[in-house]
Amino acid sequence: MRNENKLLRFINQNLVLLGIIVLVTVTAVIQPKFLMTRNLTNILRQMTSLAFVALGMTFVIIGGFIDLSVVGMVSLVSVITASLINPIGQVGALLCGLLAGALLGYLNGTILTKFGATIQAEVLFITYGMSSVFIAVGLLVTNAETLRIARSTRPYDMFTAIGSGSFLGIPISILIFAVILAIMYFFQTRTLAGRSISLMGGNKTAAYLCGFNINRTMQMVYTINGLMSAFGSIVLMSRVTTATATLGTGYEANAILCVVVGGTTLAGGKGNVLRTLLGVFLITLLSNCMNLLGLSTYMQTVMNGAVLVTAIWLDNRKRL
Amino acid sequence: MSQPGRNILVVRDVCKSFPGVKALDRVSIQVPSGVVYGIVGENGAGKSTLMKILSGVYEKDSGTIEFDGKVIERTTPIQALRRGLSIIYQEFNLVNTMSVGENIYLGRFREMGGMRGVHKKARALLDSIGSRISTYAKVGDLSASEMQIVEITKALSFDSRLIIMDEPSSSLTSEELKRLGKIINQLRDKGISTIYISHKLDEIFEYCDIVTVMRDGCVIDSRPVSEMSRSEMIEKMVGRTIDNEYPPRMHCVGGPLLEIKNLTTRKLHDVSFTLNRGEILGFVGLVGAGRTEIVRAIYGADKVRSHTLHLQGKQTRVRNPKEAMVAGMGLLPEDRKREGLILPFSVEANITMASLDRLTRHGIIDRSKEKEIGERQIKNLNIKTPSAQTRTHSLSGGNQQKCIVGRWLELDPQILILDEPTRGIDVGAKYEIYTLMNRIVEAGGSIIMISSELPEVLNMSNRVLTICEGRVTGEFNPETASAAEIMSRAIG
Repeated sequence: MRNENKLLRFINQNLVLLGIIVLVTVTAVIQPKFLMTRNLTNILRQMTSLAFVALGMTFVIIGGFIDLSVVGMVSLVSVITASLINPIGQVGALLCGLLAGALLGYLNGTILTKFGATIQAEVLFITYGMSSVFIAVGLLVTNAETLRIARSTRPYDMFTAIGSGSFLGIPISILIFAVILAIMYFFQTRTLAGRSISLMGGNKTAAYLCGFNINRTMQMVYTINGLMSAFGSIVLMSRVTTATATLGTGYEANAILCVVVGGTTLAGGKGNVLRTLLGVFLITLLSNCMNLLGLSTYMQTVMNGAVLVTAIWLDNRKRL
Repeated sequence: MSQPGRNILVVRDVCKSFPGVKALDRVSIQVPSGVVYGIVGENGAGKSTLMKILSGVYEKDSGTIEFDGKVIERTTPIQALRRGLSIIYQEFNLVNTMSVGENIYLGRFREMGGMRGVHKKARALLDSIGSRISTYAKVGDLSASEMQIVEITKALSFDSRLIIMDEPSSSLTSEELKRLGKIINQLRDKGISTIYISHKLDEIFEYCDIVTVMRDGCVIDSRPVSEMSRSEMIEKMVGRTIDNEYPPRMHCVGGPLLEIKNLTTRKLHDVSFTLNRGEILGFVGLVGAGRTEIVRAIYGADKVRSHTLHLQGKQTRVRNPKEAMVAGMGLLPEDRKREGLILPFSVEANITMASLDRLTRHGIIDRSKEKEIGERQIKNLNIKTPSAQTRTHSLSGGNQQKCIVGRWLELDPQILILDEPTRGIDVGAKYEIYTLMNRIVEAGGSIIMISSELPEVLNMSNRVLTICEGRVTGEFNPETASAAEIMSRAIG
């Protein structure tokens, strides 16, 4: 009886991990191509940009909010970065891109605090609106044209390295992500700023009465998310070698999906960046598997939706 | 209809276990028709669990329940309602944006023959208990006691023969409480039984016919109220003798510490007062008189139009809670679940959250020091929790409150503001909170205490201010002034 309970609890706590194992096994049996190094590296490469955005989104959701503007931020940052490569060089463009992301996020946070957006629906729609603005600005800048990043030619080689280069057999984008993840994990678990985010997400009023500056924490959370979206944008742009004003389409839903599947509760307060990474793994694997198994894109969308609903259901059941 | 004298509810040997705790251990009670049946017991005694089993929220492990002569195996809240068993929780189940009538017949508009029928029937029911609340009034605009009347009327609309009231008085003023008492008497006259759960023994003695004392999941005793004395009841609740409900009053008042002048906000008018070192200053007033607003304004939590604040003779600015904390203040808010605690977080996280600043070097929290603080306050305040990592929502009210007290004690504040520190917590834990307050003033701290329980304020304070409609209307020495005198000033 007791052992049975322990097993159940273990399964409950490691559902995502088990899901990943089941998914890998099933796909490997049906489609042996899946386990080839090239496919696996490919999955890792595909994963990175989403992983960055989901990482930032984790902080927003732990803080008790949501950010739909990542679509706009990923898109606009790619446009800004790509169009700056020729005038100021690739290093400058990269830094400007990251800075732009952080600024866009800060702008989000400031608008939300200045307008006193306190309920989730307001946050939802304001960030949704900001997303449209960011996309529209990108369209205005590019005239709705696609900016190309030529492979391996002089001013672009750094982006080529990020997009398709490897170091000791590991994709460079993954290495960058690992470093950022380690920093963010430390930030979340050990620093006062990281703690203030989860306290705010747990109970805004209580945190305020204990001396935390809620507005500043909110701005910080959105700035982090902007910066992470910028990383995601640059990695994505480098991989697909193009930048467009709609590059980030679908990233908001997928990022939220990964965060929730990873076990961060939408109610705020509780969550973990490492778990989000598992969520990213699961979602990316799922889409890769469905591709290998030849499922249609529509079917894949249905699957993603089903996974999201299931994840929220499981999370709510856990809370009871 | 049930005849008087018959038992409307018979509970026999009901047991219920949760992982790790036996919440109910062979509990048996018999509630006759047309009586007011009091259930008392400390938090965690099993009262709420029993009520939740009766109303179908939980399922019992064993035992039998008979309602109105029929054995009830399992039930759901809506089935229980339709059978004639209603429960009114401490937090009301009302839709604030809808009208009184709509709330009473929520979900049954069609059965009532549309909105016209709803309002007509609601009117008749309200009249039957002598209430003049308009059925068209929006519930959100009502006072707490009026909301309670709506809840009671809702229960009557289901032809309830047993109404369970869980801590019905916690948000009522003493005036409103009298009205509730009248309604309970009317219910009794109609043959409707009431189970009245309360921490306030005065109310039990005033309203109840029979009382059951519970402790640690067991029924300790059930007797007619007239056969049990107050001290006997407390003894049975806590399982030990408490000679006195209040510890001896401290007398260590020194010179002025905090001076507030001309505090004006949207709800407050020109409030001025002084708090002395080592003093417990009590605020007495009706709910909504502005007591909470005063302390929140001092603490920097609300916007202030004008005021001057002198701390130790020096003018100080407090524009937000952070600055208040720097100035040496701490606030235990009125609603511990909504404003005080982060319920899903651990005891430790809740205790340390105000002192994290001090544990941080170069932005990094010293985890071992944090653990130390958690353990220290758990020990210091005797917080009953399985571990420092236990989430606070599984703690009893008294222990939750102690977590918040511990949070501030760690900062060693000069001024501790306690807004309803003993609301909804049991007698034993109350005494511990009182002792803590004395310890604080003994160590040189000062306390502002707000409480709706007059005896508490009168027995703990060195000085009492009455607040009415946003003004300070009087100042009393509780050792010499009578309760009636003070209350008449508080009512205005």
